[in-house]
Amino acid sequence: MPQHEHMERHRKLHGRRFDAEERDRKRTARLAHKRSEFAQKVHGLRAKLYNQRRFKEKATMRKTIAQHNERSNKHANDEAVADGAVPAYLLDREGVSRAKVLSNTVKQKRKEKAGKWEVPIPKVKPVADDEMFKVMRTGSKKNKAWKRVVTKCTFVGDNYTRKAPKYERFIRPTGLRMKRANVTHPELKTSFQLDILVVKKNPSSDLYTNLGVLIKGMIIEVNVSDLGLVTTSGKVAWGKMAQVTNNPELDGCVNAVLLV
Amino acid sequence: MPVYNFKNMAPVPSANDLVDIVLTRTQRRTPTVVHPGYKISRIRSFYMRKIKFTQQTISDRLTAMLTSFPRLSDIHPFYSDLCNTLYDRDHYKLALGQINTAKTLVDAVARDMVRMVKYGDSLYRCKCLKRAALGRMCTILKRQKASLSYLEEVRKHMSRLPALDPNTRTLLMCGLPNVGKSSFMNKITRANVDVQPYAFTTKSLFVGHTDYKYLRWQVIDTPGILDHSLEERNTIEMQAITALAHLTCSVLYFMDISEQCGYTIESQCNLFRSIAPLFANKQLVVVINKIDVQPWETLEEEKRRMIEELVKESGPNTTLLTMSNVSEEGVSAVKNTACDKLLAARVDSRVSGNKVESVMNRLQVVFPTARDGIVREACIPESVSKERERMAMQSSNKSKKKKGSRIGYAPTVEDEEEEDDTPSESEDEMMDGEAGNSGRKKTARELMWENGGPGVWAPDYREQYDLADPEWRFDAIPQILDGKNIADYVDPDIEEKLRVLEEEEEQLQAEYEAANMEKMDDDSLDEMEKVAVGEIRDRIKIIRQYKERPGGNNRPVLPREIRGRTKDKHDEDAKLSADAIEKRMEKYGVDASKMVERGRKREREDPRVRRRAERAAAADKEMEDAAANDSDEEMQDGRGLSKGAIKRAKKEREQSVKREKSLARSHSRPREPSQMGLKDESMAKIAKKVESKGQMRWHGGKGEGDHTQSVHLVKWMNTGKKRNGTHYCR
Repeated sequence: MPQHEHMERHRKLHGRRFDAEERDRKRTARLAHKRSEFAQKVHGLRAKLYNQRRFKEKATMRKTIAQHNERSNKHANDEAVADGAVPAYLLDREGVSRAKVLSNTVKQKRKEKAGKWEVPIPKVKPVADDEMFKVMRTGSKKNKAWKRVVTKCTFVGDNYTRKAPKYERFIRPTGLRMKRANVTHPELKTSFQLDILVVKKNPSSDLYTNLGVLIKGMIIEVNVSDLGLVTTSGKVAWGKMAQVTNNPELDGCVNAVLLV
Repeated sequence: MPVYNFKNMAPVPSANDLVDIVLTRTQRRTPTVVHPGYKISRIRSFYMRKIKFTQQTISDRLTAMLTSFPRLSDIHPFYSDLCNTLYDRDHYKLALGQINTAKTLVDAVARDMVRMVKYGDSLYRCKCLKRAALGRMCTILKRQKASLSYLEEVRKHMSRLPALDPNTRTLLMCGLPNVGKSSFMNKITRANVDVQPYAFTTKSLFVGHTDYKYLRWQVIDTPGILDHSLEERNTIEMQAITALAHLTCSVLYFMDISEQCGYTIESQCNLFRSIAPLFANKQLVVVINKIDVQPWETLEEEKRRMIEELVKESGPNTTLLTMSNVSEEGVSAVKNTACDKLLAARVDSRVSGNKVESVMNRLQVVFPTARDGIVREACIPESVSKERERMAMQSSNKSKKKKGSRIGYAPTVEDEEEEDDTPSESEDEMMDGEAGNSGRKKTARELMWENGGPGVWAPDYREQYDLADPEWRFDAIPQILDGKNIADYVDPDIEEKLRVLEEEEEQLQAEYEAANMEKMDDDSLDEMEKVAVGEIRDRIKIIRQYKERPGGNNRPVLPREIRGRTKDKHDEDAKLSADAIEKRMEKYGVDASKMVERGRKREREDPRVRRRAERAAAADKEMEDAAANDSDEEMQDGRGLSKGAIKRAKKEREQSVKREKSLARSHSRPREPSQMGLKDESMAKIAKKVESKGQMRWHGGKGEGDHTQSVHLVKWMNTGKKRNGTHYCR
């Protein structure tokens, strides 16, 4: 009656077959060939996925090999620089080159110079009105065409009240209203789901801004009070700008980058 | 009582596998073809279906997972505690909770995305939304990687847990490591537990079964327990503690008095004291093991006293027993004692429990009261009392050998030997029996023994046959007669039946003869005519049957005009061609040539046509004659016909041939009405083809006339407010 570890028990009782080790060795030896055969045969999406996975494996392999080789590799040794006088013929050989640091600082300065409103997505694709709005035909004979339905995602404030249907020109469907955005902090490299406070600017048109239409490249203000960010004067910042980085109407969510 | 079977839990796929399973299923089980030209509602529903289907699949899989894993609060506390020690209750609950959360998250994602798809205005947008939805669902699944792999491990381990029943009769062994628990287990069950000379060979609970008093006993072997506090115990020890704590059983506490296990008797006593609370309400047997190495009698006085004190202080229910696995001394005594104690305890608990009350309430024992003071003794016949006395006498003076009752058994050699051994006795009995009541018939058995015993002589059962005439008893009855089994024809009232049958036959014969007497006169046909009449009658019968065949009404009916054209072999009513008429009439032996001719005459009412036909027939006849004449012209030149007549005939013939040749068709003859207006033969052929296509439906196919247009709503007629009196008369 085998209980619990039946495999081990069986091995204990009957041992392994005589060629077990040989078979294992052969199987591992054959594995590379099998893999290559598959890799050559596979195509389409599976190939893409397979190659991605394989690439990752290989990268880790390379890294581990590099780690193992670190001991034997030759590399710059800063401590080896002798104190005091250095012979002329040794001046340029060792030590840290400062070129890299310099270039970094130059870049940094240039960045600061470039202005406050440099944003991750500099260009915003203009959206035409007929793409943005769908004509809604009204009237008992459906012959009036002055109402518009917004086809993109929108942000509608909490205290928004609709106008009377008779005077309501723009309709923002409830299904396409967004309240929260997935905001990435570029320095912390983490994402948070934050409330949208207001839509700041839509470069295409002021109308879109007023309607609160959310499209790629827009600037929105998000509630960051949960993050505990502090302004330079020491106050807790609770509203911060962020730029929308995706097309919410295609993804079903708003992704944004915090502008810091 | 629920039986705990953790073996039938379905395997839990890893997160990656689960994603693959779900997506493949969606791809395979939902429609795959959609075009931007489709109506937008169709495109939307296509993608909504994909999203909903994926969500459904995921939640089905996860629900199945959640239901298959037992809830620790629902199962027996023993199993629940065992799971706690083995898998950590918190971890287990957390994993299941996370799976549950993932399910609700997936549902929420699907709900949101389906709502978004409802506003999709293009295929591209719908597709993007679907892609996002599936991606988000799969991400949620991938986040469950850790809990899924944990659950799979738990499932594997659980399925290999021994199938022990917490409520049955159980013997449980416990003690320090290496004191001989597993060896004892191997002695009394077939469990085949690994026994090794090092500590903690047994790392988990093992279950074996043994029989005692025709009952099944579950024997549980536990890992060794060390003497330290509960917090310090490791998982292996905790399993033993769990079993001790939750199972109602008989506990065997093993002690190694040889101290070979590496623990002194004192430390073993200490362990006993520290786990003593777990022995409460259990039947305890302290087993002194390995007495082959160190017999109990020669044990140092101090140690022995220590053990005895231990037993004494643990209560009156504790028993001390000695045994050895090697010499197998006392093994069965230990088993029996433990089983007996548990059995007694179980019965006790039954009797003292609440359930007994309900049974006892329904029981009533009645003691009848005597109605008067008269003593009514049993009436024993005189012969019986005599016999009894005799038997008593015999048993008193013999009483040397007790013979077992062999009623209902076949006599054996043993019996015979016994008879031989005690001939005086048996013969005495027999003689007594015969002498006592000489009128008694000898039994067949006695006769058999008189005549040489079984195999030599057997009674003839035929003597006992109860037949009408006792003479028949010894008649030989064959089993098979004339190739038939006699037994098949045995019938107690066969005579009666035969008589009835014979009577009936006679009556029938009489009736038949009476009927024949009347008929004899009008039978004046000869043999040939009779045959012919018979054939005709058969034919009539066939025709009638054909007419009355089922399903006659529900088939296409040919209109009269078409009937003649189609030579349908299944259609009896079709107009027949001359050939067919001739053939058919020939069947009845009638010459149909005149019939055909008459028919033709009636058909061609045009006199010119008729005349031409007659003339052609005459010419044919003449030609034949002429040919006949030509062949023997040289011999019989000018004989039979005058020269002038021959010439005239010849000329006429030549002319007619010429005329025939010049004409494709006679001008006077009207065309067939169906070919009127057609230019030539090929046109006619085409027309015929087209016509036959049109007639297809008479043969069950769909023809051009079968074209139907389904009713469809014409928009301008059915929309707006013009209906229901809203427009014109408001």
